[in-house]
Amino acid sequence: MYFLGDSLGTALALLLNLDREVLTTVWTSLSVSFGAILAAMVVAVPLGGVIALREFPGKRLTLTLLNTLMAMPTVVVGLLIYGLLSRQGPFGEHGLLFTPAAMMLGQIVLAVPIVAHYTVAAVTGADPRILPTALTLGAGPLRAMLRIFLEVRFGLVAAVVAGFGRIIAEVGVAMMLGGNIRGYTRTMTTAIALETSKGEFAFALALGLVLMTVALLVNLFLNLLQQR
Amino acid sequence: MTPLYELNRIEHRREGRTVLAIDRLELQPGHFYALTGANGAGKSTLLHLLALLERPSGGELRFDGQTLPGSNHHLCRLRREITLVHQAPFLLAGTVADNLAFGLKLRGLPRRERNRRTLWALQTVGLGDFGERRVGRLSGGEIQRVALARALALRPRVLLLDEPSTGLDESSAAAFEGLLAGLRDQGLSLVMASHDRALVQRLGAEEIRLAEGRILGHPLADSTSHRLAVSGSSLCLNPSKMPGR
Repeated sequence: MYFLGDSLGTALALLLNLDREVLTTVWTSLSVSFGAILAAMVVAVPLGGVIALREFPGKRLTLTLLNTLMAMPTVVVGLLIYGLLSRQGPFGEHGLLFTPAAMMLGQIVLAVPIVAHYTVAAVTGADPRILPTALTLGAGPLRAMLRIFLEVRFGLVAAVVAGFGRIIAEVGVAMMLGGNIRGYTRTMTTAIALETSKGEFAFALALGLVLMTVALLVNLFLNLLQQR
Repeated sequence: MTPLYELNRIEHRREGRTVLAIDRLELQPGHFYALTGANGAGKSTLLHLLALLERPSGGELRFDGQTLPGSNHHLCRLRREITLVHQAPFLLAGTVADNLAFGLKLRGLPRRERNRRTLWALQTVGLGDFGERRVGRLSGGEIQRVALARALALRPRVLLLDEPSTGLDESSAAAFEGLLAGLRDQGLSLVMASHDRALVQRLGAEEIRLAEGRILGHPLADSTSHRLAVSGSSLCLNPSKMPGR
């Protein structure tokens, strides 16, 4: 008990003293994940909208694929992208491996199926009168889809928040594609894994507390949206 | 005069089932038509085709002498000549004025003209001071009237109405009839789906009877002899003359 209590005290002291390394690690995590979720949103929201609104051959298969990709283990995503970005891989010449850009790419791949899936759910659950109303008022197909997005905006924000929750807490992609380089690609999750293995429990706990706070804020925001 | 709509050998299918089969139908501009028939007769489906929201599965539909264009862009341009007020209208999120502004913005109208038309349309349906009201706070009858105002503000060549008096109380329905009669007298092309044949006769509309997706009779010989003049309604509906397009 003393060990846990002492570690918690040290962790809080690190946070209150704005420890430089803790701040750098938190900043790396947040900046990579924010960048990834923004990019994923640009791809996944229109993709989800098209899947929801269009009838096309293979639609069921596409939805099944999305569901499967949602549950894809992060280390598998890391492995696949590692293969693409490593020196022997097709994109090795760009030197992206072990950079924040590589981590962002992996997190985009993780987030797109989640955001797209929840977008499909939000648009499918939208009032079916929105589309004919927008069309009869003179909107083209694109404007009509944007109007549907506007009407289900809370569902779309929930989709993005759910995607962010997944990628901020993942460790596989960040470890395999970032390499856990101190001050460069070290994120909260990879730092927690490393520092715990080194016996630096208090440092890991400090980051764990920040991560928990972020997760709590994300969930509070999601609950707030669901109540609207 | 070029007919407003020409339908030749129209067949429309949904889920493999024929829901509409019309050998030939011509609708003239400036007329008031009423589609009547029981539930499932095909009234709403025909209105959707006339609103160009759906393409018929087979046959030829002409609007103003033109066949339906292949591209969505051109179809959208043609569709802007027509507005459909649905049976249970959907109001977009925001205020009443936002709803009226939506279609006007799509047509690129400047703010001043948008405001002018919004005020005129809301006054026409007796909701002149409702512009800033949130749509979530409207009653069923008010929603119906805002939807009509939203359509009128666009100054369409054709106004399509799907069971427009459904959900209205007695006084609102009477005022609504007065408004429709006013629009009819201004020469607006109107097509209304209704199961209420008495209403159709009171408004003097030319009746097109549908049953199981087919036309039974068109028009009724005596349909124009029962015109209605409603005035002094408690709702102050004011079918003032529609300004030029």
